[in-house]
Amino acid sequence: MTEAPTPVEHAAPTLRLRGVGRRFGGLVAVRDVDLDVAHGERRAILGPNGAGKTTLFNVIAGDLSVSTGTVELFGRDVTRMPARKRARLGLARTYQQSRMLLGLSVEDSIYLSILGVGDGHLRPVTLPRKDRELRERAREAARRAAIDHKLSELVGNLSHGEHRQVAVAMALASEPKLLMLDEPASGLSRGERQLLTDLLLGLDPEITLVVIEHDMDIALRVAERVTMMHDGRVVVEGTPEEIRANQLVHDLYLGRHHYAADE
Amino acid sequence: MSSLALDPKVAVERVVGVGVLVLLAAGPAVFNDYWISTILTQTLFFGIAASSLVFLYAYGGMISLAQTALMGISAYLLGNMVTQRVPGGETKGLTLGWDPTLALVLAIVITTLIGLVFGAVASRSLGIYFLMLTLTYAVIANYFFGQVTQFGGFSPIAGINQYTPGFVGDLIDHPDKLYYIALGTALCVYVVTRYLARTPFGLSLQGIRDDPVRMTSLGYTVPLHRTLAFGYAAFVASLAGILLVWWDGQIAPGNIGIGATIELLVMCVIGGLARIEGAWLGAFAFIVINNYVRDVELPVVGGSFNTIIGLIFLVIVLVSPDGLMGIWDRLWGAIRRGGGGGRPEPAAVGASTAREAGSS
Ligand SMILES: Nc1ncnc2c1ncn2[C@@H]1O[C@H](COP(=O)(O)OP(=O)(O)OP(=O)(O)O)[C@@H](O)[C@H]1O
Ligand SMILES: [Mg+2]
Repeated sequence: MTEAPTPVEHAAPTLRLRGVGRRFGGLVAVRDVDLDVAHGERRAILGPNGAGKTTLFNVIAGDLSVSTGTVELFGRDVTRMPARKRARLGLARTYQQSRMLLGLSVEDSIYLSILGVGDGHLRPVTLPRKDRELRERAREAARRAAIDHKLSELVGNLSHGEHRQVAVAMALASEPKLLMLDEPASGLSRGERQLLTDLLLGLDPEITLVVIEHDMDIALRVAERVTMMHDGRVVVEGTPEEIRANQLVHDLYLGRHHYAADE
Repeated sequence: MSSLALDPKVAVERVVGVGVLVLLAAGPAVFNDYWISTILTQTLFFGIAASSLVFLYAYGGMISLAQTALMGISAYLLGNMVTQRVPGGETKGLTLGWDPTLALVLAIVITTLIGLVFGAVASRSLGIYFLMLTLTYAVIANYFFGQVTQFGGFSPIAGINQYTPGFVGDLIDHPDKLYYIALGTALCVYVVTRYLARTPFGLSLQGIRDDPVRMTSLGYTVPLHRTLAFGYAAFVASLAGILLVWWDGQIAPGNIGIGATIELLVMCVIGGLARIEGAWLGAFAFIVINNYVRDVELPVVGGSFNTIIGLIFLVIVLVSPDGLMGIWDRLWGAIRRGGGGGRPEPAAVGASTAREAGSS
């Protein structure tokens, strides 16, 4: 990068969805979603269980194909692009039902995350200098996610909360342009939540963040804009203040157990 | 890694490993001819074939039933290429009479290429479907060499070990030499396979074993990885096939039939599918039982080798799904817990022991 990014460079939003829908047999999990997320923006996606948030993530990341509509990432139409290529464009995500590499150590997992977006996946030899550099980056990401005390531990031996931390470290380590976190705070202790909030608030402003989060406290503190989903649709979009004040949001969501449970 | 102090279990394993190696290197000075030429040589090359199966499972999460077939393909290729049509000599196969060194290289290369094709076809299948596909390969190879008389036919291609490369020399009158070749090859396969586990290729393969979907979203091309892993396993199996015909002198459909396929799987399960060492341990146990227990008469069930190996197999699977290596790993877990204060033992997922195998 040479200079501060010009407005022209980021004229196209980092993420643009037009008319995106996804069906599972007769069930329409996501319907006709338009969404624009600007470069560097922090976006929270809220919505009750079954609203279609995770499905929307899967469609954006390429884990699921769309039934209708188009997905654009970084100004490119990626609707038909496989997930692994979208990852290599600079999209990193975590999973709600944490998909972890249980038989590998924490450091190896993060190492693989860095390697995945780079070259040399098939390299059948170790290169001491190159690997030392990659592993240093992996350890740095582990430090940022506060999991660096468990580097050589098998991921399969860690707690649920630690899995979340490893997942975040893996996502950060690949230095993504677009970071998508699916309920990163679920199952975390109060202290771990605080850590996560600090981490998200301190994120490089160049990184675009989309986060699904039931913890309203975290979501509304981190986000600049909030998208509210219900029944597969986007029902409200606005700033955290607008969301707090919105009657529909209260009816759908805030009045329910989530708010009470997380307060 | 952060801890400088060597894990006592790893330390013990190293001592045992070096001890076994010294014993094997001493070879004929320690073991009698029967042990060298029958028990140990077979253990070494069947262990190599078994290690290709264990490699695919422990690092790739794939159970392949095609390893015996691949071993046989390389043996058949070599047999077809080196044997000569001479008066009173071999009449089976193509009897091309090619240069043994060239034939050796070609047999290994072609088997590896066949493995890559097999792997590419199977690479998108998982679990039971992958297993069925590899079983199909095994059946096809068996029928092909059994029924296409140009390449072999019902009876064996014999006398293959009369035609060895110059740098190998005469193996028929020098079983010790074949033993050392098998030992060297086994050692190389072991070291390279362990080394691979720590390279980007090996680590990403283990990631794919644990969660292929996750690895895809990290940017990996999962089928390509699987294909190449299968190619490497075919290469290893081809080495075992060469050693088999150098040892036995002949190759027949029975060497690559369903029975032989199951036997290799039994070796792996007895030794332990989660660790590469288990391949040789299982091959050793199997061959010792095969040679010594053959004539033992059991009450009620009688004296069949298959009954005895079947019972042993059953007991091991019930006691320890990870075979003899798994019993060893479990033992250490018990010692650590008993001693207190030790590191907690990794969770009992098959993958965790595989990780240990590749860690040091
Ligand atoms: N693979 C699938 N096959 C069939 N139905 C699915 C699948 N994935 C999701 N669904 C259904 O789609 C709907 C939306 O699910 P989704 O997981 O996207 O909701 P969500 O907003 O993430 O909910 P939660 O807050 O519980 O995570 C649900 O009714 C769910 O049962
Ligand atoms: Mg969800």
